[in-house]
Amino acid sequence: MSEFALPEEYGLADLLCCAASREVADNEIVFAGTGLPMVAIMLAQNTHAPNLKLIFEAGTLDGRPPELPTSVGDARCEMGASRSSGLNDAFSIAQRGSVDLGYLGGAEVDQYGNVNTTCIGDYLDPELRLTGSGGNPDINSFAKRTVFIMVHEKRRFVENVSYITSPGWRVKKWPGGEFVHRRELYGAAFRGGPSAVISTAGVFRFDEESGLIYLDTCHPGKTPEEIHGLCQFDLDISRVKGETAVPTREELRIIHEVLDPDEIFIPRVKKG
Amino acid sequence: MSTSKRITLQQAAEVVKNGSSLTFSGFTIWRRPFALVYELIRQQRRGLHLIEVNGGPQTEFLVGAGCVDIWESCWVGHELYGKYGANLSRKVGNKEIIVEDYSHAEMMFRFSAAAQGAAYAVTQTSLGTDIHNPEYDMLGRAGKRDGKKIARHKYVFTIDPFFDAGAQVMIPAVKVDVAILCVQQVGEEGTVRVNGQYYSDPEAARAADITIAIAEEIVPEEYLRRNADQNTIPSFEVDYILECPYGAHPTGMFGRYDVDGAFLKDFYACTRTQEGFDDFAKEWIHGQDHMSYLEKLGWPRMLKMKANSAMNYSPREKKGGK
Repeated sequence: MSEFALPEEYGLADLLCCAASREVADNEIVFAGTGLPMVAIMLAQNTHAPNLKLIFEAGTLDGRPPELPTSVGDARCEMGASRSSGLNDAFSIAQRGSVDLGYLGGAEVDQYGNVNTTCIGDYLDPELRLTGSGGNPDINSFAKRTVFIMVHEKRRFVENVSYITSPGWRVKKWPGGEFVHRRELYGAAFRGGPSAVISTAGVFRFDEESGLIYLDTCHPGKTPEEIHGLCQFDLDISRVKGETAVPTREELRIIHEVLDPDEIFIPRVKKG
Repeated sequence: MSTSKRITLQQAAEVVKNGSSLTFSGFTIWRRPFALVYELIRQQRRGLHLIEVNGGPQTEFLVGAGCVDIWESCWVGHELYGKYGANLSRKVGNKEIIVEDYSHAEMMFRFSAAAQGAAYAVTQTSLGTDIHNPEYDMLGRAGKRDGKKIARHKYVFTIDPFFDAGAQVMIPAVKVDVAILCVQQVGEEGTVRVNGQYYSDPEAARAADITIAIAEEIVPEEYLRRNADQNTIPSFEVDYILECPYGAHPTGMFGRYDVDGAFLKDFYACTRTQEGFDDFAKEWIHGQDHMSYLEKLGWPRMLKMKANSAMNYSPREKKGGK
């Protein structure tokens, strides 16, 4: 019996969750938001990173939830935590520079890793107002690395997002709004930026000097050309390393039997 | 010398005037003062200016009912029970409400500044984003920046003059008339004990001119003072208190009850249209009071959400996702 699961044994959500989980190293301090990121980080806690320190934005510091929370304000977050407090602590810790990695999401991403969660269309006359920023820009401003987990559709992978909610590698310098490298703007607070976008098609990374996104691995069954066609910008596919590593049977067992048995965020694959 | 701080739900709602600026305890779908939110809707409060560290179902109810003119915050939705705030979204589209966007940390730091009596906070968060786009100063565009209740500028950019740390943004302290908290315990003199994450409640209470604490139970003040290190907010920062069990429903309360996910899902589905919201409000708010609301929900439903006292959440409540 091989360590890696066969294609019929896992779903796309499993693949994203495991890919996200592998972005964290042991002993790192990590911010995780609601949903799939929570499962990913708890999967890491249960596999290769048992000593990672988990922070929930609502005020849980070094959390080890015994049961999957449904949101970061959940009573389940703080059971077993080092400290339960509030947002002022969580954001102060982030601004202080202690956070290694943040897991985030978004509706749109652009070629510089700028992310939009605020509105579709013109901000002053929006086609659709979305949830707003939440802590997305804050975690993304202060963490050394951030990983975005996103649905891959051509309308979501754009040249420039219609509204920059969360800062990528090239951002707007106000009051003029001209694009500059993030390093130039953040000064002493510059610690890094988006390190990966894990979409439903592949894993993307960034050239930190040019600030441009490139394709790193394709999910099984996808080709670089196909993924190039799923972006509105000219995606760099010259650096592709191969296929995204698939989930192991042990990871699947932990996801479905330990972390999310009720399929709150990750559905089981239907047995054909 | 001690005068009672106890008031009724009706009186508590009357503390909030038309045009008041208002904030709440809690975080997204946890510990929101729903019993009083419903009462504000029954009393048809108008022209409210909500200033929230983050929004949630309470925002969506007040906005849907037409109580809110200005919403200043960073996020609204129902977490996994509804992905965005459909009432707010519709009213933004129709230009029936002013929305002023800050980031989550900026909102938190604005409350911290107000709680310290400082005029503003300074931070490096969200630099380079459209949150700082001068064109998107919506209160400025509406001519509301009077330098009194509403800051003269949305932001002021500066450079660190002390340590050369680079670009900084100054953000104004919030000016909040009333904070409404929903907590587990309050003493007769106003001491509040929050169990679990306290989110931004201490800053909200300190920032506001008037603070109302709705509690699951009013307990003897002396009981709370036996372990003062476990208390969250001192007595004198709370002006009015009332006991209102299950007052946060449909949001959850650590150690007491879980979020009523099915209720929020139904509500979210109804808010896709104004008519849908109006029908929901007619069924659950108008013509009801807190006791008849609880009666309508019924014992079995409430018991399913009741937290296990050792675990602080309900092991029975299926969280109901995908």
